[in-house]
Amino acid sequence: MIRSMGFRAMNTEVLLAAEGEEAIAGMYAAKLFIEDCELRFSRFLPASELSELNRSSGNWLAVSNELLEMLQLSLKYHHETFGIFDPSILSDLKQAGYDRSMDEIRTKGVADVHHASRLPSRPAFDEISFDLADKRVLIPSNMEIDLGGIAKGWIVEKAARLLHSYADVCGVSAGGDILFIGSPLDGYDWDVYLEDPRDPAQMLSQLHIPSGAVATSSVMKRTWHQGEKVRHHLIDPRTGEPANTNWLSVTVICPNIITADVYAKALLIGGEKERLHLLKDKPELEFIAVDPNGNLRGSQNYKEYTYAFASDTFLSTGIVH
Amino acid sequence: MKLLKLGIRFWITLTSLLSFASGWIMLAHAPKPSQAEYSSASVTTLEPLPPLSDFNAGGNNFQNQPSFDIQSQPRARLGFNSFFSTGGS
Repeated sequence: MIRSMGFRAMNTEVLLAAEGEEAIAGMYAAKLFIEDCELRFSRFLPASELSELNRSSGNWLAVSNELLEMLQLSLKYHHETFGIFDPSILSDLKQAGYDRSMDEIRTKGVADVHHASRLPSRPAFDEISFDLADKRVLIPSNMEIDLGGIAKGWIVEKAARLLHSYADVCGVSAGGDILFIGSPLDGYDWDVYLEDPRDPAQMLSQLHIPSGAVATSSVMKRTWHQGEKVRHHLIDPRTGEPANTNWLSVTVICPNIITADVYAKALLIGGEKERLHLLKDKPELEFIAVDPNGNLRGSQNYKEYTYAFASDTFLSTGIVH
Repeated sequence: MKLLKLGIRFWITLTSLLSFASGWIMLAHAPKPSQAEYSSASVTTLEPLPPLSDFNAGGNNFQNQPSFDIQSQPRARLGFNSFFSTGGS
C-alpha cells in the first residue's frame, strides 16, 4: 500500500508518498524536516539564516553545514551552466516586483511600481568566498542571495533520503520537483502528469519514472503585474530582467533532483539558443520543453519516459535532436 | 376505424424508416477513430485525489494528524491515476 501525505510549505504544495510499515512515521519526519528548512532558507523570513547571510554582505559569517553545502553547490552549478544559474539575482528579482512571498503577491499584489532605473551593477556570484575550515562564508557588499533556484531541489533530496530511511520505496514532491527512490511494489513505474503550463488543470502527457528525479520550471506559475507589464520570477542574469524565453516550461528528467531543478531553470532561461551548450556534458539528462502553442519539444530520448497514449503525432511533434 | 389503423401503421413505418436513415447518415459522417485529431486540451483531466481519511498508525504519535491513504491497486499503465504532477511552482 502506498501512503501519501500532502501539505503546503515553501509557498507550494508538497506531497510525500511511501510504501511500508514505517511509511507514516517517515512522512512525518520528512514533513518536520521540510518545515524546518523553510524557516532556515526563506528569504521572506527576517529570522532565517539566509536573511542573516544577506544582511552580513561584506563580512564573514559562520553558517550551518546545510547552508554551506547549498552555497557550494550553487557555485558549482553556476559554473556548469555558464552563469545562467545565478542565485545572486535577488536585487533584480525585487526590482521586478518580487519583494514578498508569492502567496502575499497573489492576495495583495505588488507594493508599488518600481520606476527606478537599472540597478548599479552587482558583484558576480563567483566572487563569493568560503572558509571551509571555520565554516564561514563571505558574500561581497551589495550581493543578495536567493536560493529559490536550488533550495527546493536540495530540500526534496534530503527529505527523500530521510523518508527512505523509513521506507524502501518513496517519493517526495515539492511544487512538482520530485525525487523517487525505488519503484512501487506493484511492479509499475511512478506515474507523473505533465501539466499544460497554459492551464495546469490539463495535462499534456503522462510520464513514467522508474526512479530518479523530475523537475519543471515554468514562466506561467509565479507571475504578477508590475504596472502594465506581466512579470515572472525567472530572472535572466545576463539582462537582470525576467527571462524572455521562447518556451513556457521545461521539464528535466535525470537521476539527481538538484541537477534537475537547476537545469530546468537554466534551459528555460537559455531557451533553444543555449540548449546544446548547456547539455553538452549532461548525457544523463532528458528534457521536455513546452512552447506557447502547447507543442512539446524534447531531447532525443525523452520518449522513453512518456506514454504514447494519444496519437503518434503527439510524440513526433517538434522533437529536437 | 380501418382507415385509422392503416394510418397508424403507415405512420409507424415511416418514422421507423426515417429514424434508421438519419442514424445511418450520422454514423457515416462521424469521424473515424483513426481520423480523430489529437488535442492536448481534450485529454482526460486529473482525477480528484482520494478523500482525507483517518489512519491508524499503530501506536505512534501521529494519529491525530491529517493524512490520507492510497489503497494499493493494480494500475493500468494508461489509467491516468497518478497523484504526482509536475508543472513548476
